Amino acid sequence: MFNYILSRLLQGVLVIFLISVATFVIMRFMPGDPVRLLMGDGQIQLTDAQMQAIRAKWGLDRPAHEQYLLWAGNLLRGDFGESLIRRGVPVRNMIFEALPVSGQLNVLALVVALAVALPVGILAGVKRNSLFDNLATVGATAGAALPNFWFGLMGIIVFALVLRWLPPFGLRSWQGWVLPVAVLAAEQMAIFARVMRGATIETLTQDYVRTATAKGLTPRTVVLRHAVRNALLPVVTVIGFRIAFLFSGTIVVETVFALPGIGRLFVDSIFRLDYQVVQSIVVLLAVLVVLANLATDLLYAFVDPRIRIE
Amino acid sequence: MTQEIQHERILLGRHFLTRRQFMHLTAVGFSAAALAACAPAVAPTGGAAEAPAAAESAAATDVTGGTLVWVGHQEVSGLSPSDAGPTVHWAMISNIHNALLQVDTNNELIPVLAESYEVAPDGLQFTFTLKQGVKFHDGKEFTAADVKYTYEFYSKAENGSTLANNFLGMGEIETPDDYTVVVNMNEVNADFLVNAATTWIVQSEYHAEVGEEVYRTAPIGTGAFKLVEWVPAEYTLLEAFPDHFQGRPRVDFLRQNIVPEPSVRTIALETGEADSATWPLLVEDSLRLRDEGFTVFATLAGSVKHFPLNTQLPQLSDKLVRQALLMAIDRQRIIDELWNGAAEIAHSNLSPANAFYHKADVKQYAYDPEAAKAQLEAAGWVAGADGVREKEGVRLSFTCTTITGDQARRPIAELVQQFLGEVGVEMLLEEAPVASILEALPKGEMDASIFNWTYGSQLSPDASTTLRSDGANNFSRLNNARVDELLDLGRQEIDPEKRRAYYYEIQDIVADEVPFLYLQWDQWLNVHHPRVNGLPETATTLRGDMLYPFGNVMGVQQG
Repeated sequence: MFNYILSRLLQGVLVIFLISVATFVIMRFMPGDPVRLLMGDGQIQLTDAQMQAIRAKWGLDRPAHEQYLLWAGNLLRGDFGESLIRRGVPVRNMIFEALPVSGQLNVLALVVALAVALPVGILAGVKRNSLFDNLATVGATAGAALPNFWFGLMGIIVFALVLRWLPPFGLRSWQGWVLPVAVLAAEQMAIFARVMRGATIETLTQDYVRTATAKGLTPRTVVLRHAVRNALLPVVTVIGFRIAFLFSGTIVVETVFALPGIGRLFVDSIFRLDYQVVQSIVVLLAVLVVLANLATDLLYAFVDPRIRIE
Repeated sequence: MTQEIQHERILLGRHFLTRRQFMHLTAVGFSAAALAACAPAVAPTGGAAEAPAAAESAAATDVTGGTLVWVGHQEVSGLSPSDAGPTVHWAMISNIHNALLQVDTNNELIPVLAESYEVAPDGLQFTFTLKQGVKFHDGKEFTAADVKYTYEFYSKAENGSTLANNFLGMGEIETPDDYTVVVNMNEVNADFLVNAATTWIVQSEYHAEVGEEVYRTAPIGTGAFKLVEWVPAEYTLLEAFPDHFQGRPRVDFLRQNIVPEPSVRTIALETGEADSATWPLLVEDSLRLRDEGFTVFATLAGSVKHFPLNTQLPQLSDKLVRQALLMAIDRQRIIDELWNGAAEIAHSNLSPANAFYHKADVKQYAYDPEAAKAQLEAAGWVAGADGVREKEGVRLSFTCTTITGDQARRPIAELVQQFLGEVGVEMLLEEAPVASILEALPKGEMDASIFNWTYGSQLSPDASTTLRSDGANNFSRLNNARVDELLDLGRQEIDPEKRRAYYYEIQDIVADEVPFLYLQWDQWLNVHHPRVNGLPETATTLRGDMLYPFGNVMGVQQG
């Protein structure tokens, strides 16, 4: 078990190193010059020599490998460097201000989604082809098919503009959380409910379920004790995927509701060619995904005793 | 097109210019003491314009309290004078700081931290007499040393300053006493007053101590508001500065929220969550809100919406071809169908918003596809097998790279693609991030694009960075020796009449050469909630965002 974890971690370090190099190379191959973005639509005027001086000030005139080593060296010491665009602000601060916003948002959405999706999925699986199952299927299909963007805007129009119950953007009060969490949860709910339903149906046909029923257990006990626990396995896998979103943020929802999360920071930084920020977020994400994958694998063993980690 | 818009366009067509305004804009020295209002050009329509207060006057005494809330579209990355390029930054920085001179909502240069100023007859010396008793937010008194430090720091690109070009030709700065600043010039820079003397002044001792990188996160100016809290991607919160030399602002707080999605910004105004949008809403939303009683200022932009073309490409190097392209485009239809009528057809590089330097009677190209075809035939471009014209094995085809996600201008490119197709010219469409486009065009690595850019602004007719053969933003790669010469002459000429002749000639050359396909000058629509009062009655501003530096005279009706 210990050896397994250690080897997985070592593999992870290699993956993270490769990702950091790849990100650096991709960012530098992206054509464009962050200094030119300072000029608005021409109100700011700069000559070539002046732009060159600014590039030198920002360290962009150094050879690429030197820039990489400088950045990677600082990163190993826990220093993410400074943003080009928000000069004077350490990248670390930018990331750790944005992460909690996306993290809380996604954890809340995950909790809400699971709280609704698991019972619905189980019930739909047990009462297969019933009216409830059909309604759940329609709901789940709609939830998965409707784009976040549209769902969010409709929510704002109905609840902020027409009913005036909720604010149209921001997280200044608890009401502000309602719409973004609902929009994010709706999408995940659909996926979880579908997966849970399918897994429930499959486990209900297993021998041990028939045995449990034959023992004379009540249907309720059979489903909850014997079927559901096994049916949870695929759901855990899907949740594992979602963990990455906790930290990568959800760019669409963050943009529509004007939330200063990591997803918006990431995408904005790509467009602004804020190299240090993009590189640091990618590396941080790589670390988190490696750890989340490891955690998911370990969790399998817990949920399904047949899986042994060696 | 509605009647209102037509009416507004007619109003916009009239560009009044007082002698005083003209003197200000042309850098002729005189002591600028009393300033009368100039003739109105555009009146705000609808809404709460009932509370008149000239924006340039000292802050009104009727304090309303409350918070004035604006919404912007992108994060405020920094708050130093050097960060003031983007509108959302400008709106905050200009309320935290003051400058010696400032451009007001009618494009007049008004003295703010300067009591008066004089320009030597040869244009080689500026003398500013400063106001006394002005306090910075930290209580320190504003003196000549702050001006000298600010100008010296931001005139150097090696300090990372984006303002370096504004100080072109500046030499030694002398401070004979605490309230006199003498700026000596090594060479004449006719735009020094509008470009350099409008630089926001920083508290010099503090800036020298903490450095630019800390300063931009925690600025200390003399402005009507001081910084309370700054969360770049979420909001910037300013608080009234009670000791401001023009009196305390009318509201207690000024806040700008960042809301990237335009429709959500509109809803924020409708629900009363916001009082104004510093970055314009969608044109159709602005016009709808005006009908609902919101105050809307419609001002003509100084930038031109255009297709920069790589004029060094063989298929685009002949001016006859470029002229024909312009004739093939129905620009009025673009304005009416894709821009809700809120724009004027452009006829050269300089916007009519620059009333003194704009030349109206330049060569014009009315929509005439038959004439375009005939001119292309005459120039030797004949239809090939696939319908696209060719000449000596070169196809009349080029690629227009639009800005990724640019939902506003992409449809224009698509319509123009059809217009050009009708006369046998192929324009392919691609997308790329704006940073890539701005870098690739001057190097000749892209054929064409579409965006707005300033080729001489409302305040300064200078276009050295965009039309000079060695200009850093010479997107169309124009290489015209006469234009280069005229730009140099213009920058060093302080006699406005003589100076105007140079820029008239440049506009004539641009209208003849058509180095880029100039489409339209957009109206800049700035919407204010009806509960906001103290807005100017008229504004001819460079863009509607010129209103925002005057947050101190705006009030919010409570309840």
